[in-house]
Amino acid sequence: MISTLEEKPHIPAAPRKRKVPGWAVAMLGVAGAIALLSITSYQTNFPQLTSSGTTQTAVRLALPILLAGLGGLWAERAGVVNIGLEGMMIMGTWGAAWAGYQWGPWAALVAAVVFGSLGGLLHAIATVTFGVNHIVSGVAINLLGAGLTKYLSTLIFLPLSNNPRQSPPVQSFDTFSAAGLGDWLGELEADQRLFISDVAGILRGLVTGVSPLTMIAILLLPLSYWLLWRTRFGLRLRSVGENPHAADSLGVKVYFHKYVAVIVSGGLAGLGGAALVLNPGQLSYLEGQTGGRGYIGLAAMIFGNWRPGGLLGGAALFGYADGLQLRSGGETVLALVYGVVLLLGVIVVWQLFRRKWFSAAAAIAVAVLMYLLYISLDEIPSEFVSYAPHMVTLAVLAVASQRLRMPAADGLVYRRG
Amino acid sequence: MSSSTSVGTGEHPAVVLTGITKRFPGVVANSDVHLTVRRGEVHALCGENGAGKSTLMKILYGMQPPDEGTIEVNGEQVRFRTPSDAIKAGIGMVHQHFMLADNLTVQENVVLGAEALHGIGQKARRRIIELSGKTGLNVDPGVLVEQLGVADRQRVEILKVLYRGAKVIILDEPTAVLVPQEVNELFDTVRGMQEQGYTFLFISHKLDEVRAIADSVTVIRRGTTVGSADPKTVSSRQLAEMMVGSELPSPETRESTVTDTVVLDVKGLRLMTPDGSRPILDDIDMVVRSGEVVGIAGVEGNGQTELVETIMGMRKAGSGTITLQDQDLTKLGTLARREAGIGYVPEDRHRHGLLLTQPLWYNRILGYQTRRPTAKGIWLDTDGAKKDTERIVADFDVRTPGIDVPAAALSGGNQQKLVVGRELSGDPVLLIASHPTRGVDVGAQALIWDEIKRARAAGLAVLLISADLDELIGLSDTIKVMLRGRLVADADPSTVTPEDLGSAMTGAGSTSAAVQETAVVEEGEN
Repeated sequence: MISTLEEKPHIPAAPRKRKVPGWAVAMLGVAGAIALLSITSYQTNFPQLTSSGTTQTAVRLALPILLAGLGGLWAERAGVVNIGLEGMMIMGTWGAAWAGYQWGPWAALVAAVVFGSLGGLLHAIATVTFGVNHIVSGVAINLLGAGLTKYLSTLIFLPLSNNPRQSPPVQSFDTFSAAGLGDWLGELEADQRLFISDVAGILRGLVTGVSPLTMIAILLLPLSYWLLWRTRFGLRLRSVGENPHAADSLGVKVYFHKYVAVIVSGGLAGLGGAALVLNPGQLSYLEGQTGGRGYIGLAAMIFGNWRPGGLLGGAALFGYADGLQLRSGGETVLALVYGVVLLLGVIVVWQLFRRKWFSAAAAIAVAVLMYLLYISLDEIPSEFVSYAPHMVTLAVLAVASQRLRMPAADGLVYRRG
Repeated sequence: MSSSTSVGTGEHPAVVLTGITKRFPGVVANSDVHLTVRRGEVHALCGENGAGKSTLMKILYGMQPPDEGTIEVNGEQVRFRTPSDAIKAGIGMVHQHFMLADNLTVQENVVLGAEALHGIGQKARRRIIELSGKTGLNVDPGVLVEQLGVADRQRVEILKVLYRGAKVIILDEPTAVLVPQEVNELFDTVRGMQEQGYTFLFISHKLDEVRAIADSVTVIRRGTTVGSADPKTVSSRQLAEMMVGSELPSPETRESTVTDTVVLDVKGLRLMTPDGSRPILDDIDMVVRSGEVVGIAGVEGNGQTELVETIMGMRKAGSGTITLQDQDLTKLGTLARREAGIGYVPEDRHRHGLLLTQPLWYNRILGYQTRRPTAKGIWLDTDGAKKDTERIVADFDVRTPGIDVPAAALSGGNQQKLVVGRELSGDPVLLIASHPTRGVDVGAQALIWDEIKRARAAGLAVLLISADLDELIGLSDTIKVMLRGRLVADADPSTVTPEDLGSAMTGAGSTSAAVQETAVVEEGEN
């Protein structure tokens, strides 16, 4: 007799229902993050961690990353790796400055989108039509973006600003603030009560000095989600990124969807460039202004597992790290290290609960290291502080990139037939 | 089916192909093909791989235009430029290699490209659930395709075709990926749908299946139709001879050449899943002797691939020993194991066996980069490699214009002959053959069988993994059944039937004298 085993192999996996809906997880994550920051700021006595000023700066700095990340999302969902986001963003900054100093901020936005889209179009022609390796084409576009804008700045901006590396000042957007609400939140913030003041500070930062560009960017996120996940066009676009052969066999125009996706991707990256130029602290084109934010946007998207919600989380994280170092300097960033120790503590408990001894041990080791760092230093050296967002990117990607699921045909060159 | 009353009343045949000719640079893929499919029948199209079946179906499905000839659907002449034209005419195709996006849900896969019918929301979902019953698919449309097994994926493919309102369904080698029980379920589905008026074009080279399911058979050889047959009266052998145009081989090897010399000795081999939660290989003990073919039967995904890759050193065993002719291989790398005398025909020749873009002689070097005749000292010997490739091409009848063409230019059968020829070079003592004749035509299959038999007679030990149970029973001296990472039963190939094996493979209770439980099998913890 063959011994009888209860179940057959290869039974299709039962429909796996998510126990908690996605938005609830997101809300929980946000609440957790605020609680963590709140405790950290209370323990270390750095109210700047959750002040409205920090939040406001964080939002401003998260914008370019968010837009670049959205650009990455569009391209990669259609199966085209877009490492050229940085280059398209650079082209966007130049376009925004060029149109911005002549015709104002709205023209800057349009020009930035157009310039970025041109970069996207180039990437699409190279990767989709000619089958160039996506990384090679992307790197080429990064080099081209930097070189082209340098040339154009020398040609056009030099006579106006007497500086080949900078454009004439650009007119900024009028910003909006929710006055009554902001004042009330400001009072709450000033009270310095645990959690409530922190929430108030963050909210106040979110409703103060909001530019139209911020609103556009925030709206683009749900819009992209709706387009990509809730429409026929989006389904087709995503199918092209998952299995272009299957899509083609069902009459989906693979090349067309890839082209659209990559051009939109370039446009969004260009808009991210405009967000840098129209940043109130700067208001002009500067050579090297993007500072790798295109890459960080890509990283934010990867961190977000190729989903818009996760991408927002990633952009917020990197924007916050950037904003904090700009606004408050080394001491506060050090306070953040304390927050990381707290976070690691939570992770240790969670890993112990799941009986992942190795991960728990690793988390403990890192936590101890971070804590030693925290108590032995008065502040993070200023040379190092400006790299905080990059370090956060590195650390987060190293830890978080293990369970990610990229589109199956991402980065593969598709040939018909 | 009220929505499609247009079909099922007229006297016209469902599909008529007349004088179809298709040329590619250097080859004529189809020449003067005639095919008539009556409405409501299951019409089988048989032929070797490379005979032109796939090209013909691509033409019928609008993926390629014919150079000459006409296509009639329901009596009207049509011209398809794209698959959507064919779909509009009511023709749907289920591809041999599934055209599914794993990371999309069943519903998304089904509605893709046909969103205009019922949108992509609730209405589409209801329609899919309605049609699911016909295909025997019992999963929620919101499930990701990657969570489905092979048989269910095939049902999703059929569902896709139904959703588009197809009445003529092309099934391209649908049974290649299924075990016998699943084949029976598929045939039940096909018969059920046939009663509801659907027409099937069933492409296969498995002749028993063709005779079991088809109402009529058309045979295609070297690009042209050579005749039709009534599956009720024709024998598989006659059909096969029509396909190849000559006498036929069989995998049978009855005279035993098994010796007492142990070549491969596997003891207590264990392998865990990457996350360490459960074993993929659980305490495998196995011996392969010189001149013996040991066959492993099992539903795919029960550890056969991992067993082979662990013996080859591509995966690191958790515990246990692997000994080849008194040499302990357990700690050696893959190259060292190959040099110790293991030849390896991988299950997926495109992923593991060949570099498709490289010339044949270059592929000859792979795995032999340290040995004569393809290497001298630390240098590769390209002349030696080329000369030896010529030998393989001649001895193994690899049909190719030359040894400088890329491997991708060869048909699957010829690629496989090259791989088998390479792996039998350099006098291996053990050959591990994973699905050695999967997706190859009858001619190549016969040659590969002959070569394995010849090497076995010369004292080669062979470990054979195959989903083709006839091949397994025909070639093997001993068959072991693998289920969930364990060798759960032994079978005697001289008495066992494919059905017995199939039951043992799925762990179903039925049994026969020919299949015997090997060891005490404890119930799994999960």
